[in-house]
Amino acid sequence: MEALSPFELEVARLLVETLHLEDIQPEDIAPEEPLFGEGLGLDSIDALELALAISKTYGFQLRSEDKENRRIFASLRALSEHIAQQRTR
Amino acid sequence: MSQQWVRLPERGNPLMLWLIRWIALYVGRPVGRALLYPITLYFLLTAPAARRGSRRFLRRALGREPGWREVFRHIHCFAATILDRVYFLTGRLRPFKIEVFGDQLIVEQAATGQGCILLGSHLGSFEVLRAIGMNLRHFPIKILMNTGHNRDITGFLNALNPALAQAIIPIGGPDTLLRVQESVAQGCMVGVLGDRVVAGEKTVRVRFFDRETAFPAGPLLLAALANCPVILFFGLYRGGRRYEIHFERLAEQIVLDRYRRQEQLTVWIQRYADRLEHYAHLAPYNWFNFYDYWGEEA
Repeated sequence: MEALSPFELEVARLLVETLHLEDIQPEDIAPEEPLFGEGLGLDSIDALELALAISKTYGFQLRSEDKENRRIFASLRALSEHIAQQRTR
Repeated sequence: MSQQWVRLPERGNPLMLWLIRWIALYVGRPVGRALLYPITLYFLLTAPAARRGSRRFLRRALGREPGWREVFRHIHCFAATILDRVYFLTGRLRPFKIEVFGDQLIVEQAATGQGCILLGSHLGSFEVLRAIGMNLRHFPIKILMNTGHNRDITGFLNALNPALAQAIIPIGGPDTLLRVQESVAQGCMVGVLGDRVVAGEKTVRVRFFDRETAFPAGPLLLAALANCPVILFFGLYRGGRRYEIHFERLAEQIVLDRYRRQEQLTVWIQRYADRLEHYAHLAPYNWFNFYDYWGEEA
């Protein structure tokens, strides 16, 4: 399996921690695998929880008006790239 | 748990919907109501799954085997509220007698300027709430709605009142609830229907009509994350021109502890299910979940 970059691993840890995914190890998340529905199987309440945790940790808001949300939330890699670009801390 | 309602073929076609609208607006409610009888008969004869769903529910609510007339009355009640939606959505409220219980609660909530979750169900008509709340009172109400599975009805309703259509938050992408949370943070009252499970979403099992039943956990998780009060609402059709809206406070705040989350959610959702059962006994023909609600048809 493809290894995660250090930052992807950090985001994976935040994800596992925030959503209490007790049976998943952060390093086991495939970076290109879908987060929602298929793949990791997250739902829309997970997305909200994750969005709130991201804003607290990285100091920027994910907004519902963002047309790119589907892409941003598509995979751990896409999400990590977005955070890396937008973060203020 | 049954997700059958998502797959049920759409009942009626766009032409029929436009016909209902045309009759409702240009011919009048008495003629529209007379036509509900053949329409109900048509559904009774052509929708066996809905018929079974109706029987199953009425058996529980009435505590005995329902007859044909009762199933007919059940479907007729549903059809009557669809007709009245045309009036509610276009702001023609004058002919109706709408009684509001717990009005003080919602007025006080609006006065605080703080957003909240209005937790409803498919018992009765939520359109009556939108009509009163938005047209008469100008409360900042938005409704979280599954618009995907019934495009014809959605298009039909949107065409009636584009301004109200703006106040719908469609269920869909990963950011749906983010939008709800933002709306609540801006002081909106967001209406959510909490009695139908959507595939892939979290559920909690509670007692409902003496059976263990899965309910979506989403609405209360949402309230916990948005840190806002939850007010229950039931918009019941009471026959003729009469509607009743009931408001009740469910929670000032939902606080969930990480390790006892499921247990705490169960307590809150049991309270919701108990109130839903109470009102379903009060107005059984308002139960508009015409499918295998308890997932018994394996």
